[in-house]
Parts: sequence; C-alpha cells; structure tokens
Amino acid sequence: MTRFELHFYKHLNRYRRLIQILSVLFIFIVPLLNKAGMHAIIGTFYSVSIGQLDIVDPALVLQNLLLTKEIHFPLLLAGIIPLVITLFFGKVFCSWICPFNLLAEFADKLRKKIRPKTIRAKNQNAKPQYYWLVFGSIISVAAVSGIPVITLTSMPGLISGQVADLIFYGAVGMELSIVLLILLLEVFFWPRFWCKYACPVGAVLALLRGKNTLAIQYDAHICANNCPVNLKKVSLCNAACPLQLNPRQKGIYPYCYNCGACIEACFNKGGKSIWFTFHPQETKTNKSGS
Amino acid sequence: MLLDLLNKLVSARYPLRPPGAVKEDAFLQKCIRCRRCEEACPYDSIKMAHGDWGLKMGTPFIYPTAVPCYLCSDWPCINACPTGALEAVGEKENVKMGEAAIDETTCFAYNGIICRACYERCPIYTVAITLKEELYPVVHKEHCVGCGICEQVCPTDPKSIVVFSAHR
Repeated sequence: MTRFELHFYKHLNRYRRLIQILSVLFIFIVPLLNKAGMHAIIGTFYSVSIGQLDIVDPALVLQNLLLTKEIHFPLLLAGIIPLVITLFFGKVFCSWICPFNLLAEFADKLRKKIRPKTIRAKNQNAKPQYYWLVFGSIISVAAVSGIPVITLTSMPGLISGQVADLIFYGAVGMELSIVLLILLLEVFFWPRFWCKYACPVGAVLALLRGKNTLAIQYDAHICANNCPVNLKKVSLCNAACPLQLNPRQKGIYPYCYNCGACIEACFNKGGKSIWFTFHPQETKTNKSGS
Repeated sequence: MLLDLLNKLVSARYPLRPPGAVKEDAFLQKCIRCRRCEEACPYDSIKMAHGDWGLKMGTPFIYPTAVPCYLCSDWPCINACPTGALEAVGEKENVKMGEAAIDETTCFAYNGIICRACYERCPIYTVAITLKEELYPVVHKEHCVGCGICEQVCPTDPKSIVVFSAHR
C-alpha cells in the first residue's frame, strides 16, 4: 500500500466532508450566479448544464423512457457522465455529493444522542431482494400511473430546487416538508431508511454495478491476525458504517454507497484489513465476526 | 389517463407553460422539474409551481400579470430543456403557449376611454391584435402566441385581457 493510499484512507472522512461542503456550496452558488445574470452553469441535482455540457440524473432518464415510451436522444447522452462515474466508482454520488445524505448523517448523529439505545450495530446485512423489491414497486407505480414518482421523491433534486427558490424568491415551498418528514422518521423510527432502502435515485445507480466497480474489500485473515484492538467487543468498521451495514459479512451491495467510513475507522486504529478495490474478491464470512 | 384525472382532482388549473411546451399531459411526464428553464430565463418570467399545485409542483409556468414571456429570439429556456418537454419552435410566430381573451365589459376601449395598451405592445404587431374601427382591440386567436405581454400592460384591475393556456 502506497503512502498516498495510507494517507487517503486515514483521512477519508475529511475529504468526503470537503466534497459534501463543495456540493452544498454548488447548490447555493448556481442560483446566485443565475440571479446575477450569469447563465453558464444552470440547473439543480435533477439536471445540470455547464456550458454546452448536459448532465441528467440517470434515474430521471429511465423514468422518462418509461413514462413517455419514446427516446429523446439528447436526454440519453446527458445521462452518460453520471453513468460512467457510477460504473467506475459505485454509488459515490450518494455518499460524496448528495445533500440529503449530508443532512441525514447529521440527523443520525442527533438520533444517537437522543436515542442511545438504537446505536447497536447490526451483525447481518439485509437481503438485496428487499432493495430491489422497493425499487421495483416505485418504478411500477410510475409506469402504471404515469406519475413521475422519481422526480417527486428525488431528495437531492427537491433540496437543491428549494435552495434555488429561497435565493430567487426568498421563500421555500411545502415540498421541503417531505424532506423534513423523512428526516424525522429517520431520527425517531427507522434510522437511515431512505438512503438504505427507499431512494430510487440511488437504486438506479446501484443497478450500474459491474464486475470491476469500486468496492469495499474485507480480508478476514488480516483482520483476525493483525488487529490491534479487541474485535470481540466492538467491530470498528461495522460501528462506523452510516447505513448500519457490516462489511465483515457478505452482501453489503447493493446497499453500500462507498463512503469509506469503515475503511477510515479501521486504518485509524492501525488496522489494514479493509480497503477500496476495483477487483473485489468475495468476502469470506467470518464466523466470529460481529 | 390516470395522471390527468389525478391532476383534475388535485388542481383543475392549467398554468401557462413556457414557449415550446408539449401538450399538458405529455409535459407532466417529460418535465423532470430540473428548473433549468427558470434559471436560464433572462427576465425571470418562468416561475416554479409549488406544492399547492399538487402533482404539478416543480413544473415551470408563467404568470403574465407579474412578468410575461418576452419571446427571446434565441430561446434560452428551450435550449436549457434537457428532456424535450420544451420543443424547438423557430420563429416567435410558431409559439402557442395560450390565447388571449378580452373582457369587453371592463375593457377601457369598449367603455368609452381611448386605450391601445395591448394593441401597441403585442409582439405579433397588428396581426394578433387589431383595432376594429380604429378603437376596439380584437384578438385573432389563430395568430395569438399567448406570451401575456398584453395582460401585463392592461391598465384595468382586474385585467380585461387575460391569457389562458392553450392546453386547457
């Protein structure tokens, strides 16, 4: 492992927060520039155009195909950039860019403070079938009813749109209450359910997982032999995961969004048993793992 | 269409869409509510529908009493649209956002006060609105593009010339 990688893994969260803050700045600065008469960059997290370059959320491209049943070529082209990024790096949009995830992470910190009993990390990962079942239902509702469900439930889009409204008119619409409702449900009932199970934007990105997509790799052998802390009491990577996944067990995908919190937790305690890789091997189930 | 029915239940109003908009039910499916047309509009004519519009929330509309559409010759809103919800129109005469209608009971010109506000400002000058007997404005629906400039300049309150969506 190179020095650069070591440094990156040890400070992963700091880099991630930096990009998240830049993304929040982005959704404020774009409408401010538009208001000042500069239209070089326009758009929200539904769709952005930078000069002549069009970028559209792939989930919305899929929704448009389903709803209109016709192919609009510029729209397909606009979906390519996020598609390629996701094919290489996985759902990094969710963990590194999405403003809702940032809000939800802070809401989760609040949950851990006011409901300490819910902190206990889960040992087993949920079956991927649940994930696809939820996404399948959302897509079916959209296709049958003709209602653009993904648009209406895209948290990054709603948030960035409301920020634009705030800047243009000094007021926000009641759409923002959907975001607040989900955050409240996450704090008081089901921790992080939106990003983990429900979000259709993330689900379309999860569909794009290939064989060589960036993945979390865990090595039980290194973990058992070289770990400086006693893992029988607490598994650092498991406790660090914002989506309550256990990277020491199989099946973190399609849920995992490659935020790297587990890697940082491991490396900061001197461990080296979990890392990012483009050539993932199957995780061997660790019987003693918790 | 179920969507159409739901829309009627939630809101029976048909907002005036930006130029080049496809038919209302297709528009609601094609538009991804990305706001690029709103942000591209140099006159801030395009506004966003909020939650009180039900399922139409987040879609762009024009409220001509506040700011009408000035029919820019380079169509920044249409160029900004990534989905084809706003289609290229070419010349401004091809736009069909809506149709203006005059209420003759309140219109100054029909009530003995000389007023040519709508006639003089109409961008389809002397074609969409003509003066009958040099005094009374008349809208020719087949030529009216529905930009709403007439509605904005109308001096009466409430407005005597109002634009209705072409997709009603």
